[in-house]
Amino acid sequence: MRSAITLVVAYLLLILQSTVLELAPVRMATPSLGLLVVLHVGLSSKWTISSAAMVAFATGYLFDLVSGAPQGVHAFVFVLMALFARALSTRLAVQGIVMSAVTAFVATLLSSALIVIVRAQVAPEGGYGGLRQAPVEALLTGFFAPFVLGLFRRIDGKVDAARSRVGLARGPQGFDPIPRR
Amino acid sequence: MVAGSKKLREAAVVAVTLLVAIIALRMSAKSPGDLSALDRGILRLVSPAQSAMSLIARAITGVAGRYVELTHVRAENETLARENQKLRAELTEMRRLAEESGRYQRLLGLRDVTPAETIAARVIAVDASPYFRVARVDIDHGESSVRHGMPVLTPDGVVGRINKVAGKSSDILLLVDPRSAIDVVIPRTGGRGILRGKAAENGYRCSIEYLARGEPAKEGDAVVTSGLGGAFPRNLAVGHITKVIPGSVGLYQEVEVTPDVDFARLSEVLVIVAPPPAPDPDPAARRLPARGPMVYR
Repeated sequence: MRSAITLVVAYLLLILQSTVLELAPVRMATPSLGLLVVLHVGLSSKWTISSAAMVAFATGYLFDLVSGAPQGVHAFVFVLMALFARALSTRLAVQGIVMSAVTAFVATLLSSALIVIVRAQVAPEGGYGGLRQAPVEALLTGFFAPFVLGLFRRIDGKVDAARSRVGLARGPQGFDPIPRR
Repeated sequence: MVAGSKKLREAAVVAVTLLVAIIALRMSAKSPGDLSALDRGILRLVSPAQSAMSLIARAITGVAGRYVELTHVRAENETLARENQKLRAELTEMRRLAEESGRYQRLLGLRDVTPAETIAARVIAVDASPYFRVARVDIDHGESSVRHGMPVLTPDGVVGRINKVAGKSSDILLLVDPRSAIDVVIPRTGGRGILRGKAAENGYRCSIEYLARGEPAKEGDAVVTSGLGGAFPRNLAVGHITKVIPGSVGLYQEVEVTPDVDFARLSEVLVIVAPPPAPDPDPAARRLPARGPMVYR
């Protein structure tokens, strides 16, 4: 249920990213809204690492199809980013507007570097260029992060409320694959 | 014990997910234009939503533009405000229609002068990822004849080639993508080379590879398609040389090309679905079918 809703919202965000934002004044880079989905599932303790990885894979694969990238580039990078987010969540409490924005900024820079590295393996003629636009993309993603992550937190809250009504609530006190400090 | 096996299961799922992504990567590296049945199914779900969203976005920006203009007119002359507003709104709408009609007329004009069979397509998305320069188009009629590798152009010049096809929608690999390679010539010098997108740049730029040192290229030189390779007809505008890298050593010159097409404002394109007729070496052979063999696969 939670995964299905998240994937539907991811689908809408990716459509938004590929169409509406093309009319925005900054044309050379768009915020990586798909990455924000991945950050949410990676950072939230309500998601097991396996379901976070699967949602990250599905979001990345969908983004590959939407963006015209070779299939598997974003799928692979997004799974790695979900693992990165999970590792980060054991060390940092990513809460509040500033922390969300900074985390998204750093994650976008990292994912851009990974995308360029993976792209160079799939299409070597492109080389390792293209990272100059990464800071702009990271800034835009950081700007949108508090809104999108907040939206997902609200969706998770609603799902929890619905599940608790039928006695299936899952929260941070449940099984956590990565022990907290 | 139970927690240990759960951890193991979680790790196994993550490993399998990564493995599937690597397999997908390897497959797309082997055959870049191929789409599985699942991919086509997903794209059939995505494309109508992209198309609808694109139309809504353009309508909203049109309304916003008209609002700004109307506000300006009211401030200018309060007494004639109502009449003026009405006329201005009509004028704006007429201009928009005229511009749209002009774009279609230019496209039709290009269709008439292009020595090949073409079909029109509407752009519904451009550059969803800054690392892959790809545009998605919606084809209303004749989508079944669109194939991987077919050239795409506008009245301004070459746009790129069809990369992936899924029903009514297709992806165009723009000529500014580093994966794109087009055989071009500089008419002034006769120098030939391969035009390739520059990934390292923020903007839409290309460079010409293997441009032999002979007569040096100059800034402002036009670049057109050479017609070699069989995909693009000859003499289609591609762009202009905007930078000649000085002091480059070796057998080849280094030049940077700015495309004539404004990729930021791409709205309608033509897809060449059949190549131009082959040159006629023997007038007696004029009775043979005009079209050459299809080279697109």
